[in-house]
Amino acid sequence: MSDPPSAVRHIAIAGNPNCGKSTIFNVLTGLRQKVGNYPGVTVEKKTGRFFGSHGEPMELLDLPGSYSLQVRSPDEAVARDVLLGRQPDTPRPDAIICVVDASNLERNLYLVAQMLELQIPAVVALNMVDVAEKNGIVIDLMALREKLGVPVLPMVATKGVGFIELRQALSRTPLPPPPFCAQMPIVLERETMALARRLPVDPAVARGEALLLLTLHEQALTELAHHDRIVIEDTRAAQARLHTAGLDPTSAPVEARYRWIGEICAAALHRGGGAFGPSVSDRLDGWLTHRVWGWAAFLAMMLLMFFCIFTVAAYPMEWIDTGIGALGRWLGGFLPASDLRSLLTDGVIAGVGGVVIFLPQILILFFFLGILEDTGYMARAAFIMDRLMSKVGLHGKSFIPMLSSFACAIPGIMATRTIENRKDRLVTILVAPLMSCSARLPVYALMIAVLIPAASALEKAGIMLCMYLLGIVAAFAMAWLFKKTLLRGETPMLLLEMPPYRLPAWKTILVRMWERGFLFLRRAGTVILALSILLWALATYPKPSDPATSPADAIAQSFAGKMGHAIEPLIRPLGYDWKIGIGLIASFAAREVFVGTMSIVYAVESGPDEDLAPLRDTMRAERRADGSPVFTPLVCLGLMVFYVLAMQCISTVAIVRRETNSWRWPLFQIAYMTSLAWVAALVVYQGGRLLGWT
Amino acid sequence: MNPLVDQLLVAALVLGALAFFVVRYLRKRASGKACGGDCCPTQKTPNAKLQTPNAKR
Repeated sequence: MSDPPSAVRHIAIAGNPNCGKSTIFNVLTGLRQKVGNYPGVTVEKKTGRFFGSHGEPMELLDLPGSYSLQVRSPDEAVARDVLLGRQPDTPRPDAIICVVDASNLERNLYLVAQMLELQIPAVVALNMVDVAEKNGIVIDLMALREKLGVPVLPMVATKGVGFIELRQALSRTPLPPPPFCAQMPIVLERETMALARRLPVDPAVARGEALLLLTLHEQALTELAHHDRIVIEDTRAAQARLHTAGLDPTSAPVEARYRWIGEICAAALHRGGGAFGPSVSDRLDGWLTHRVWGWAAFLAMMLLMFFCIFTVAAYPMEWIDTGIGALGRWLGGFLPASDLRSLLTDGVIAGVGGVVIFLPQILILFFFLGILEDTGYMARAAFIMDRLMSKVGLHGKSFIPMLSSFACAIPGIMATRTIENRKDRLVTILVAPLMSCSARLPVYALMIAVLIPAASALEKAGIMLCMYLLGIVAAFAMAWLFKKTLLRGETPMLLLEMPPYRLPAWKTILVRMWERGFLFLRRAGTVILALSILLWALATYPKPSDPATSPADAIAQSFAGKMGHAIEPLIRPLGYDWKIGIGLIASFAAREVFVGTMSIVYAVESGPDEDLAPLRDTMRAERRADGSPVFTPLVCLGLMVFYVLAMQCISTVAIVRRETNSWRWPLFQIAYMTSLAWVAALVVYQGGRLLGWT
Repeated sequence: MNPLVDQLLVAALVLGALAFFVVRYLRKRASGKACGGDCCPTQKTPNAKLQTPNAKR
């Protein structure tokens, strides 16, 4: 088991969901893996390097959370396969850090019991001892160490407590394999060892692998892919012999482990007085998961978030706007009238500046999302949503991926790996992009500013909330439709662990805001910048042969103008003109590109002698040939509805392709979302006109 | 500004923007990244800030 001193040792971090694995991983490696106070944040293995207490390098593997090695979902399978050495790209770990939530010792010890059976050297990181103490739980560390036979280290990972001891424990060479594990009934042990000898696997894991095989139900055995037919037949025969001996092979190991855990807890776990009444978390849950008040609290929190987005962000947005205007004027005065000046002012500054201005709103959005995730509220939101979701046939676990999609659909779609059933997972992947991601925020904010410039921040926040709710309702409605037609199946019950409420870790939230802000600015400085240059070229060339042609006519004859005119028949029923059409085409790359594109189109159209006015003012002043305004309230609302429902993101298409392993589902998703968006925008515009609105 | 210099500079910027997307695509394909998104969690982890044993003391 021990490696030569020069070799890098591989250490895996494993444990139940939401017990602090990623926090320990981040502290040890110095990386910034996403952490959150709800189960299912990590869905694939992550690696990083760190040094032991003697400076020896070690490779650290953060595994997705799992309650047991009898897996039910793809993310749990990753943890099991790594620990059993089944993953070809990952060596079997030399040691495991078994992270245990001290406030839930009994439940967490089940996975520890299974990991000890694998005979891999282990260190138990008893995390959140502070929470356990607050709950009146006293853990006798000496007794726990004695019973488990491995080092047990008390830790508070969020405060950096216990890491020195953890490094020291991991630096012990060689770390001995665990001496004890749960004692199985003799008949079961005999069959396990007999099957283990016939398994074509590493002898070190053969017993654990055999025990896992013996506990499988008939259907799971049939679906087994990584063992050949002979092994499966041997397993069936062993199971039949156990049944004859009066032992249920699926429940006997579970009972044996819980018996062992019971003995450990009797010796090491003591509950102090005063922990029997409802805790603060329980009392808060009474309100926040209430049938009525739970919804009221959810809507109030969302409204508060959008209110802050419109009020607090207004000042920095104004500063950025002033800065961009000044830069444009300075560059305009510095360079003589030329194509280069037009490219820099009408293309780069208008395009990139038009998007960068929304940075403060993005930061505030992530500040609030960070607080909701860190306090543990997200699990409560999933709970109240489950009542609605189960009615439309959505899996209860779907809401965590859908909540993640509020930030970006990509991690949301990857988070569907926690869903066991393939059909439920596909339904969630198909509807997750309907949740309003942060890239839609600039589009909503711009259209709201054009629609009701003089309205109060509360009214603007109300419209923004309606757009987010529309996304949620559309996702539920489409999920219901898919579950009734394409992907029929039973709706499984939601079993969700409610994490305790915690005060948010401000440093984590600020780091996350910084990361998202940095990503947004990097995107603006790379993708949006390059797209702005190309869009400017498309909106400028070919130049009209007659130099006296007005800038408005010139852009109509450009490549971009021709593209806009080409799709105009399709979008005219929605009330859009060809210039909006250019924005729609360009934003197939990413939704926020719409804002930059409209900036460029109007800047190029305004000609070289005009200052860059704020985009919302230009859009409000935009007129059709008959003198009527282009951006009427119905057009603005229709555009927002279009962006709520349309699949305007190439990156999401790519991730859906990877997660479904086919082009069929992403293409279907593009088709249904674009059609849905078009029909909904048509209903808003034409329906509104029929009712006499403008 | 000399019209030729003006056109050359504009052409260089436009070609540079095009080259950016081509290089980005090739690099993503080579690194095996799952998607082109900046928020893609499957991207390779940034350079780990290697810690000395005493870093957390």
